[in-house]
Amino acid sequence: MKTETRQDPDVVAELVTRLSGDFGERAVTTHAVREHHSHGEGLADAALPDVVVFPHSNEEVASIVRLCHLARVPVIAFGVGTSLEGHVAALYGGVCVDLTQMNRVLEVNTEDLDCRVQAGVTREQLNAELKGTGLFFPIDPGANATIGGMAATRASGTNAVRYGTMRENVLGLTVVTADGRIVKTGGRARKSSAGYDLTRLFVGAEGTLGVITEIQLRLYGVPEAIQAAVCQFPDLASAVNTVIIAMQTGISVARIELLDEVQMEASIRYSKLEGFAAKPTLFFEFHGSEAGVREQSEAMQAASDEFGGSAYQWATKTEDRTRLWKARHDAYYAALAFKPGMTSFATDACVPISRLADCILETKVDVEKSGLTAPILGHVGDGNFHLVVLFDGADPAQRERAEALAKGVSMRAISMGGTCTGEHGIGWHKLDVLAQEHGEAVDLMRMIKRALDPRDIMNPGKTVPL
Amino acid sequence: MLNETLLAALGEILLPSALLTAGEDTRPYECDGLTLFRAQPLAVLLPENEAQVVEILKICHAARLPVVARGAGTGLSGGATPNHDGVVLSLAKFKRILAIDPLARTAVLQPGVRNLAISEAVAIHGLFYAPDPSSQIACTIGGNVAENSGGLHCLKYGLTVHNVRRVRAVLITGEIVEFGGDALDCAGYDLLALINGSEGLLAVITEVTVHLTPKPREAKVILAAFDDLAKAGEAVAAIIAAGIIPAGLEMMDRLTISAVEPFVHAGYPLDAEAVLLCEADGTPEQVQTEIDGMCALLEGNGATRVEVSQNEAQRLRLWSGRKAAFGAAGRISPDYYCMDGTIPRRSIAPVLTRIAELGREFGLRCMNVFHAGDGNLHPLILFDANCPGDVEKTEAFGGKILDLCIAVGGTITGEHGVGLEKIGGMCVQFASAELEWFHAIKHAFDEGDLLNPGKAVPALYRCAEMGRMHVHRGQVPHPDLPRF
Repeated sequence: MKTETRQDPDVVAELVTRLSGDFGERAVTTHAVREHHSHGEGLADAALPDVVVFPHSNEEVASIVRLCHLARVPVIAFGVGTSLEGHVAALYGGVCVDLTQMNRVLEVNTEDLDCRVQAGVTREQLNAELKGTGLFFPIDPGANATIGGMAATRASGTNAVRYGTMRENVLGLTVVTADGRIVKTGGRARKSSAGYDLTRLFVGAEGTLGVITEIQLRLYGVPEAIQAAVCQFPDLASAVNTVIIAMQTGISVARIELLDEVQMEASIRYSKLEGFAAKPTLFFEFHGSEAGVREQSEAMQAASDEFGGSAYQWATKTEDRTRLWKARHDAYYAALAFKPGMTSFATDACVPISRLADCILETKVDVEKSGLTAPILGHVGDGNFHLVVLFDGADPAQRERAEALAKGVSMRAISMGGTCTGEHGIGWHKLDVLAQEHGEAVDLMRMIKRALDPRDIMNPGKTVPL
Repeated sequence: MLNETLLAALGEILLPSALLTAGEDTRPYECDGLTLFRAQPLAVLLPENEAQVVEILKICHAARLPVVARGAGTGLSGGATPNHDGVVLSLAKFKRILAIDPLARTAVLQPGVRNLAISEAVAIHGLFYAPDPSSQIACTIGGNVAENSGGLHCLKYGLTVHNVRRVRAVLITGEIVEFGGDALDCAGYDLLALINGSEGLLAVITEVTVHLTPKPREAKVILAAFDDLAKAGEAVAAIIAAGIIPAGLEMMDRLTISAVEPFVHAGYPLDAEAVLLCEADGTPEQVQTEIDGMCALLEGNGATRVEVSQNEAQRLRLWSGRKAAFGAAGRISPDYYCMDGTIPRRSIAPVLTRIAELGREFGLRCMNVFHAGDGNLHPLILFDANCPGDVEKTEAFGGKILDLCIAVGGTITGEHGVGLEKIGGMCVQFASAELEWFHAIKHAFDEGDLLNPGKAVPALYRCAEMGRMHVHRGQVPHPDLPRF
């Protein structure tokens, strides 16, 4: 994909020279680095930035944005590039701000169960640094994303059914505004009812309102006992209905993940899972006291028994459990490896749990009709599921069918009162569906975007159609 | 008085009984729960359907007439105080529960549905609506969304913003918009979070979809008495630091206990300096584990008495005193002024000690009853409005308490909102970029500043005036202030 230029090339060149002067080796213009920063995962429609800068502080980010503001050149914040809807593609060129060198955990307040991190800290790094404090940060999208990227895309993960998404777990932010000022929103107070909720406005704004540089996060005590189990079902409907019943009766489960038979086959191969069949499968995890965990898992087994679920296979040892969840987190990569040489993208949708069975089963029929391979998996406890669509990238007809399939999922979810994205975000791939979902409210989003970023330099072309 | 043309236009939409203009009819609307501020509106409008709200707002928009939306009027920061040159739009007639989906665990409500009525209606499905502000018998869901209300159980179950899925609302131009969706997540900017706590400045809410929570199989509460406020404060910090998230964690001081106990007979020890109520809910096994853990921590931190509720009747009785605290204040004093501030939990003891000293300096009594788990204070200053000088002393005392909250790294409101009461404090709390953003957002929704003008977000010129006022109080702005 070609980068569209909106600014006079001389102005851009002058800006790049200026940044090179200010940042030296930390302002990179080589093709390889720009290419690496031109796309996320998913569809490889790359659009190259003019320069990639690696700042070390809030002040440095502010200085970059101020220059871009003056020159009216786009700014694209970049973490580790694992977003799935083209969020980081430099559609209009400009300056990519790579935040991975801002990777310090600034403070951990064990008494108040919170911490403050720089945007480039990854979720695995944070949890490694929390080891020994008895605390952990539960949000876990499949990839080892940066906390800044996770906040910007309002990421979620397998633990959301118990701990919520980034929306519930970001207490405050430091943001560099579109004109290069540094602003702190939110804070450490557990509640507030003053002013509009700027923190949540920036969470999920996909870098279109400002650059997130620091994040105050909620932490949780590591549960006394953790128990993981796997249950296999004769068909997809039985697995989904088990989830619905469990959610309705309020069984307190920390994770409940669905993998359909196609995904299961891919994961068995890729992650060398032994003792499982390629059947619709639920992965569970229970957190709590020893007694609580036992009680919850027994209640869950009773629910799955009703729908013909197999006996539970327990993963009690930490390494077994880790292997199981690693397999789940690697599901996307397993799907890719399932059909070598194929192109793929992952789409996601989220519906009210009472519509989940209809939505997934109808989607399954669509997949069969399309003739494509597209495993279904998801954080079904939240009503959120994913479709990994595999197709021959060299065949335009296949790509068209793949995109139609994904669009169908979005539209179905919206018609069921749900959303076209539960956690991946809009980026630019889903821009056209946003209006379908929100109607008049998109006008308000547009006005907010214009008010906070009047020059349209913050990640232009994404999230909100202007 | 509204001019003839406007009156006629509104009369086309509303029945005469739903269009109140006589002084004696509009007087009941002159204030909300914050009675220090009063203003009589030109008219009070009582529409009964969304189409009427749309037409009313179009008329107000065209005539540049300020509109204050009002639920039950139980707010504590003057968010529903009318404008003398505007109208009050009461949503009291929007009382229907439109749908309940027990499978998706959601309910669709009109904004005038009372908070407690939601839990009552869904109880047959084994569900409840978790946020429970103390005024839940009277306050409405529309008001709860506008104020982002908390409650006794929000420590575990979250604030209103965590429990609302979708809001349908009318903009001042008459356009109908929807925020959020029926699913747990939703795409694009989080406008739903903006509407929560927007204090009626952005849109008039006409429908709310809430998230319902399965009723825990069991709940137990611990009553712990302390002979020292500091020890009670330490116990709170110890429970949270142990990773326990109680369903409720409330503190009452000696004056509150002595005000409440004679009326409620909850069984509180009158000789204690502080009482903590700590609730655990869930399955019997979980409850037992948490109760055991909390009892050990309470005793370890010097509780003189630790008692666990043995049955549901006793549990409700122990809570009844806490829920009646505000009423009790009204019984022992002609007037009271309820404050709302949030402080780091570790500062609870020193702040309470200092409030007691300030009370002696001002010659006013102050009850302390609050959400200790959040560090959310609710000092109740007792005064007599008929006693010359008391109102001024009360305001000064209140100002000192807020200064104190800020000085220990806290904030000036936890859950009651800004309204009129704390609008000056906003200038101190927020940096100019944030205030600009607030205005930009307000401008996007309500360009003419007609919805609830003068509340929640101070006009920039006002900040300059407030700055002087703060200097007058001897307060210097805090440059490194932690914000909300």
